[in-house]
Amino acid sequence: MLRSAVFGALAGLVGGLVFGVVMALVGFLPTVAAIVRTDSPVVGFAIHMVFAGIIGVIFGILVARQRELLFWGLTYGVLWWFMGPLTLLPLLLGRPVTWDVAAAQALLPSLFGHLVYGAVTAGVLMLLHENRPSRREGTGPALIRGAAFGFVGWVLVAVTISPLLDGRGLEWTPPAVRTAIAWLPPFLLCGAGVALSFSWLSSLSRAVLSDDVRQVRSRRLAGGKVISLWHGVLAGLAGGVIFTGVMVAVGFLPVVASLVGARSAVTGLVLHLLISQVVGVTYAVFFRRRSFDAASGIGWGVSYGFLWWVLGNLTLLPLLLGSSPQWTSAALALSFPSLVGHLAYGAVLGLVYQRLEQRVSPWHLTRSEAVAARSAARQEQTLSAAPALWSLITCVALLIPVLVA
Amino acid sequence: MTLLRRLSSGVLAGLPGGAVVALVMKPPWVLWAVHTVVLGAVVSLVVSNRRQSPGSAFSVGLLVGLLDWVAWPLTLVPLLNGITPSWTVTVAVAHFPALVGATLSGAIAGLVCHALAVWFPVAARPARAKPHVVIVGGGFGGYGAVRELDRLVARGLDAHVTLISDSNFLLFTPLLVGVASSTVEARHVSAPVRAGLDHASFLHGRVESIDTRTRNAYVSAGRDGMLRVPYDHLVLAVGAVPHFFDLPGVGSHAFAMKSVVDATRLRDHVLSSLEQADLEPGPAEQARLLTFVVAGGGFAGTELVAELFDLVHDVLHLYPRLHDLRPRFVLVHAGERLLPELKATLGEYAQRKLGDRGIEFRLGARVAKASADDVLLDSGEKIATRTLAWTAGNRPNPLAQHVKQGPLVVEPTMRVPELPGVWALGDCARIPDPAGGTYPPTAQHAIREGKAVANNIAAVLGGRRPVPFRFGGLGVLVSLGHRTAAGEIGRWRVSGFVAWILWRSVYLSKLPGTEKRLRVLADWTLDLVFPRDIALSAGKDRRAA
Repeated sequence: MLRSAVFGALAGLVGGLVFGVVMALVGFLPTVAAIVRTDSPVVGFAIHMVFAGIIGVIFGILVARQRELLFWGLTYGVLWWFMGPLTLLPLLLGRPVTWDVAAAQALLPSLFGHLVYGAVTAGVLMLLHENRPSRREGTGPALIRGAAFGFVGWVLVAVTISPLLDGRGLEWTPPAVRTAIAWLPPFLLCGAGVALSFSWLSSLSRAVLSDDVRQVRSRRLAGGKVISLWHGVLAGLAGGVIFTGVMVAVGFLPVVASLVGARSAVTGLVLHLLISQVVGVTYAVFFRRRSFDAASGIGWGVSYGFLWWVLGNLTLLPLLLGSSPQWTSAALALSFPSLVGHLAYGAVLGLVYQRLEQRVSPWHLTRSEAVAARSAARQEQTLSAAPALWSLITCVALLIPVLVA
Repeated sequence: MTLLRRLSSGVLAGLPGGAVVALVMKPPWVLWAVHTVVLGAVVSLVVSNRRQSPGSAFSVGLLVGLLDWVAWPLTLVPLLNGITPSWTVTVAVAHFPALVGATLSGAIAGLVCHALAVWFPVAARPARAKPHVVIVGGGFGGYGAVRELDRLVARGLDAHVTLISDSNFLLFTPLLVGVASSTVEARHVSAPVRAGLDHASFLHGRVESIDTRTRNAYVSAGRDGMLRVPYDHLVLAVGAVPHFFDLPGVGSHAFAMKSVVDATRLRDHVLSSLEQADLEPGPAEQARLLTFVVAGGGFAGTELVAELFDLVHDVLHLYPRLHDLRPRFVLVHAGERLLPELKATLGEYAQRKLGDRGIEFRLGARVAKASADDVLLDSGEKIATRTLAWTAGNRPNPLAQHVKQGPLVVEPTMRVPELPGVWALGDCARIPDPAGGTYPPTAQHAIREGKAVANNIAAVLGGRRPVPFRFGGLGVLVSLGHRTAAGEIGRWRVSGFVAWILWRSVYLSKLPGTEKRLRVLADWTLDLVFPRDIALSAGKDRRAA
């Protein structure tokens, strides 16, 4: 633990250094210095570095056994944005906490700074840690990872580099972010698409070029593929029924019905449930044997639901209705009820699918060697970036009101 | 960890985050308490304590916290207040403080859950010896029983299950005739047992003896010679073996039809006979080689004679010297009509169809003696042949007799009377039918008997009473070769081409596993277009030698 703490402190200091530069640029250091009743940026920087080191220690201990730390760092950064400038800093300054959207929007530069801090700290920690290779994760998780990379790409390119190249400087202000958010859906889709293509090409090359039969062994540890498609249909239907609640409440069913040229809510409901089942089948194809307990079922499901909000609600639905993709900040704000529905759909889809899959293949119980191998795969997933990806994607989804309001 | 303990630790884990929320937001205390308890409990349920890392616990807690914000302030609270939730950005913005609170609460609760699990680990329960259920025999009955037990173990039955069989595959015996007649590849009618078992163990060996007093089975397997396998419950599903009634020469010269080896040997013998007949200069010996006798006019015998007829006539054009000869096919049956299992009209239909093709019948006759050159019937008729296929009698496997002398009559629950922990089913047992008599020795009955015995054993292990076996039968179908079949499905009688399609469809669907179904379907499809394969398997036929 001591080793992890020391490494975490070192990584946190490097992360804090980069974040400190950002804070200097946005002029936030005097606010930090106010903790010790001064407004000196140098003192503020010193206090900031102390905090960075302490937070790095906690991160080092927290992720001591994890691998692929980038997404862990980003998730940790988001959490510390909630914990730090929104909660602890006001308390240390003797003020009430600032848990409101206005304050959160004013602190958007700090959010991106925390993301930078998390990414740099994670990067340094990865350099300090011994290299632990991770297992091949499958198409579904690759999709989610791709979407997360899309988010990172959006922060880097659309929010940061683009204004810098245009000579506008570091523009992390709410109006600039509101403009740049129109690029978030394409970045997410692009990331997911690249990951999907890469995963398929990688599988194809392995199937064609690799002569190591041991690589396919893990695929044989679960039941048949056909039954998993039925599980997808059932889980999709269950998710669709939950989503129907949101659809009815916001009166969205006639819009769905217009896909087939109808206006009736009943037609919309039937079509919605059919689409739910088709998406459920795609979930079964992509995430078969990837959920080992309720947490991973919900995690993958929610992330997949968010992806379908971007792909389905913001992109395909307008295209099919003869319009262009609805990626503007106003459109995102308008589609927020649908996002809630998609997240609920995803959570139920993932959970029900995991429960159904567990019935034919109870991975969580060590009753035979094959099941023990599956249990090891679950442990492997716990140590991978998967849990961080679930939280990060959900954070991105639920912070959209802050970004577009 | 018990559910109660997990819920309690969850409630405890929810308190720190809940306290922060209470201090900052000052919510109505009843709602706050309910929410804190529910959130903590959900986090604890989702953050499984088993081999969780702190990072993962934190992240999953955070995820639950975020979803809690959607579920609680955006959905449930409006509903509890009688308002339809709208989930608009305006509402989301108004509830942003709750998002911060839920995020922090979830993440903290996840970490506290993990810490509680690490600091107060669950004491390991003392290991309890699990009951051992042993199934002897890998036929339909045994396989049905082990598959059901495998499923029950997956659902929580606390038992070890072992299947012992001297073949590591389930033989789909209804298609064995297809192997003998070269329409189906031998390996395609057998499914590996191991592939169907997730939790049960498989022991490849032959049970030599069973000590029902000490509850041990002695298995000849591996290099150690004899293994002792203790059991708590033993399922005897060892099937039947051919019964030759000690008729002179029959045991040594007749071809049985109980295994893939039997079917392949008969096929090779028939094809070898054609090869030899093609070389044979003497007409008498040629006629002997081209005469095929099948004893037994039940399902197996009728199907076999029809399929052998098709095999020979399908490949005869490949033997130029045999073109002008007429191979003889003789069915010897002790009854007065074919297929006593079916209604008389269908038996007569089968007899007429086969008779029209030129198959001869000796009804009311029995085989009395057999030699390498001929078969003698009890009527005194001698048929010159080098091929006698035997389907005229079966008897229970001798191992069943080892357990209990005489017919192995079991209780309606399939428990063997006076032998605690021993169950028997399938062809080796006589299971009383409430409608009268005993259940017939068919595959459809054996499969269901296996499932029923597994459920009865699970019931006994769970302290419940076993239930009597009841099954009315689904119907019967018999293939008559040349795209013809006959059968009864419930009250419906079917015959001809439609029945043949039905026969193939039913047996295709009953084959174990999609892979085997596709392989047999491919075999059958190719058989429609190409002549049958006449390549002999390795080695020479024993009768031709």
